[in-house]
Amino acid sequence: MTKTFKASELTIGQELPPLDLKITATLVAGGALASRDYTPVHHDRDAAVAQGLPDMFMNILTTQGLCSRYVTDWAGVDAVVTRVRTKLGGPNMPGDLLKLRGKVVAKSEKSVDVEVAGNNAWGNHVTATFTLALPA
Amino acid sequence: MNENDKKAFETQLRTFVGRPIGPPMTGRDPVNEPMIRQWCDAMGETHPAYLDAKAAKGTIHGEIKAPPTMLQAWVMEGWEMHEGYDEPKNEQHRLHKFLADHGYTGVLGTNTEENYTRYLRLGEQVTAETVIAEISDEKATGRGIGYFITTRTSFVNEKGEDIGSMSFRVLRYKPPAEAASAGGGAGKDGKSAAVAAKPTRIKPPMGQDNAWWWEKVAKENVLPIQRCTGCGKLRHPPRPMCDACGSQKWDSIAASGRGTIHTFTVIHYPQFPGYDYPIVSIIVDLEEGERMASTLVECKPEQVAIGMPVELLIHTDEDGFKIPFFRPAK
Amino acid sequence: MPTTIHNEAAVAGIGQTAYSKKSGVSELSLATEAVRKAIDDAGLRPSDVDGLVTYTMDSSDEVEVARTVGIGDMTFWSKVNYGGGAAVGLVAHAAMAVATGMAKNVVVYRALNGRSGQRMGQGVSGQIISSDLIHWSWYMPFGLLTPASWIALQAKLYMEKYGATSEHLAHIAITQRMHAQNNPNAAMRGKPMTMDDYMNARMICEPLRLFDCCQEDDGGCALLITSAERAKDMKQKPAVIRAVTQASFEGQEQMTSFYREDLAALPEMELAAKIIYEQSGLGAKDIDAACLYDAFTPEILMQLEAFGFCGKGEAKDFVTADSLTLGGALPNNTHGGLLSEAYLHGVNNLAEGVRLIRGTSCNQPEGVDHVLVTSGVGVPTGAVIFGQV
Repeated sequence: MTKTFKASELTIGQELPPLDLKITATLVAGGALASRDYTPVHHDRDAAVAQGLPDMFMNILTTQGLCSRYVTDWAGVDAVVTRVRTKLGGPNMPGDLLKLRGKVVAKSEKSVDVEVAGNNAWGNHVTATFTLALPA
Repeated sequence: MNENDKKAFETQLRTFVGRPIGPPMTGRDPVNEPMIRQWCDAMGETHPAYLDAKAAKGTIHGEIKAPPTMLQAWVMEGWEMHEGYDEPKNEQHRLHKFLADHGYTGVLGTNTEENYTRYLRLGEQVTAETVIAEISDEKATGRGIGYFITTRTSFVNEKGEDIGSMSFRVLRYKPPAEAASAGGGAGKDGKSAAVAAKPTRIKPPMGQDNAWWWEKVAKENVLPIQRCTGCGKLRHPPRPMCDACGSQKWDSIAASGRGTIHTFTVIHYPQFPGYDYPIVSIIVDLEEGERMASTLVECKPEQVAIGMPVELLIHTDEDGFKIPFFRPAK
Repeated sequence: MPTTIHNEAAVAGIGQTAYSKKSGVSELSLATEAVRKAIDDAGLRPSDVDGLVTYTMDSSDEVEVARTVGIGDMTFWSKVNYGGGAAVGLVAHAAMAVATGMAKNVVVYRALNGRSGQRMGQGVSGQIISSDLIHWSWYMPFGLLTPASWIALQAKLYMEKYGATSEHLAHIAITQRMHAQNNPNAAMRGKPMTMDDYMNARMICEPLRLFDCCQEDDGGCALLITSAERAKDMKQKPAVIRAVTQASFEGQEQMTSFYREDLAALPEMELAAKIIYEQSGLGAKDIDAACLYDAFTPEILMQLEAFGFCGKGEAKDFVTADSLTLGGALPNNTHGGLLSEAYLHGVNNLAEGVRLIRGTSCNQPEGVDHVLVTSGVGVPTGAVIFGQV
């Protein structure tokens, strides 16, 4: 993570390098507890099974945290996240491979919108649109 | 519910709109480095502005800042949340219980929007105030009929300065009757205790006219083409009689695997579990003269073209199911 | 006995429920409301009806409809297969029955909770709609699960071959949306559409964007068909069936006829055109308005060519000349069609065809003597020409 893109260097449709993340129980539980979300379905498999799911599943804050890392690792240290809009899909669970794909979907003089799609074997887990303030 | 009950229900439902869910919530700890570092561990973050005061100085951030998406984490209740609650503790809980009591037992988060006025500095104390902002009209959704509930949260620091906002939309729905009854033993809160299997692509329904084909794919790693043993005519998809000579006798050959794209589409919506989207769907002209529907892999959607040469690739799913795909010819 | 169906039968009544996204009632309730309204419209009593026809996909069986509406004895009923391809087939079966004396007054109907219940747009992903499981086995594992995905494969090839673009498709969608603004029963009334709205909508299956695809709705629609002679003495001005046929072409499959030589054409529609023009003695130049089946916009382009309104590959120029608008050469889907009125599986397009003959469309062009209505595209299908007495 070094240089930060200028908005003028980016084009609509430009893609981010893909990132595939192996989802483990440690990541799901670790993310939940790091966001102080102790809801049992995010760290206790039995609690999730009792609710009809095969396994414990990732909380929204962790998903957003992973997407944010994906976007800012690409955009550079001086990119500032000003807004995130997410559309939530299916669950993300231990054993899944979360495939993050991103592309630039809008731009202005000093900002861009980057749309991140996170898919796993269940289908779409999340679609998150990040607005980044960038150097002009 | 009859019409009058429904009216009374709707009227009561609307009284929730505009209510704060409870008094403002202040986080237990101010913005601090240990929690930021723990967050970065989990997220795989290496951003210098979150982790390294010295390096942060050389960035636009100037000092250690909290990752923006941590905003809500600063006011989470933490340990208390694991116990759940029998009685609703705030207006949001009461609204959800009210809907659940009227049959809207399903709940699904659908959208969030967060605005970060600025990144938070160490030592700032976050307070959040949440209001039930909107309840939609009753909607028919893929899950069942239900209501979308939007809550809005505004975040301020200890000086009352605006630091961000969040809206969160959930769907509260009536699970369709067949889903509810098929679930088997119900949990204590009425949620089904049945364990869902991990979704896979929809398997081909098998019958006498097609099962052999899929079995050959699986066992021999080939793309079979049915051949009439009466007149030698090839046919795909397989059928029980030759439309040229009327013979019901047939065998099959293994296709060379070479072909060209006759036409294609890139499928974006709707998305079904068990498939990777977008899907590049193709109709392939096989070298042998037959045509088949398949999927193109190892190719970006914008690089597909009619007439493009492709080659066979027997793909194996995680569950072991084999399916003939194609990729651009090498 | 007649030797052809030409001018033997007529539509004497039409009935429809409100179209909505959530009817809140059963499909039987929608079916019987539409049937009853068609009977009332014709000025008949339920006991005058002795035949019923619907879709194989319809959940309301003929006897359930008959008992509920108070139709007594019946001597004819049938169900027509292949989804939206059935629409004109209903009229064909009913016309044959009244022309031969199998029945006197036949009501054809289609009712579905197509939005709040089983959604067509979900295709064969869930409960298989068709009995032909083996057929779908060649497509489902590859993710070709929805009508949009099947039609997109054909549309892509057509557009590439003839140079049609998204703008041409947009023209069709926007024109029909414009028509819907005058239709109180249209789902898209009050929602006019611009080129930007069209282009900014999300891609479904390339080249199909959201507004290239029809609605999903709840509702019921029915027509009462009787002999052309009896229709003259009934309450409404009859829409005489000049010609009607079903049509399935060599190599036909249900939505997946990918194995024929030219995928950029609709040979089953060309067959239908040949037959109805022969039966009626009419040609494309005699057709004053149309309700071409419009589950997806590219289907309109290919049908304009199949029915001879323009040459092969020229439909894109035909639509950009505003030919499908009220003042154009062929006002099409003046009610908004499946794209902008509602998806009643094509029976609502038949009802609009009847209104155009009566002179009661919400967008009535002047001097309409002959209206062409077609059913489902990509499936075994059919076409009908309605005319004046």
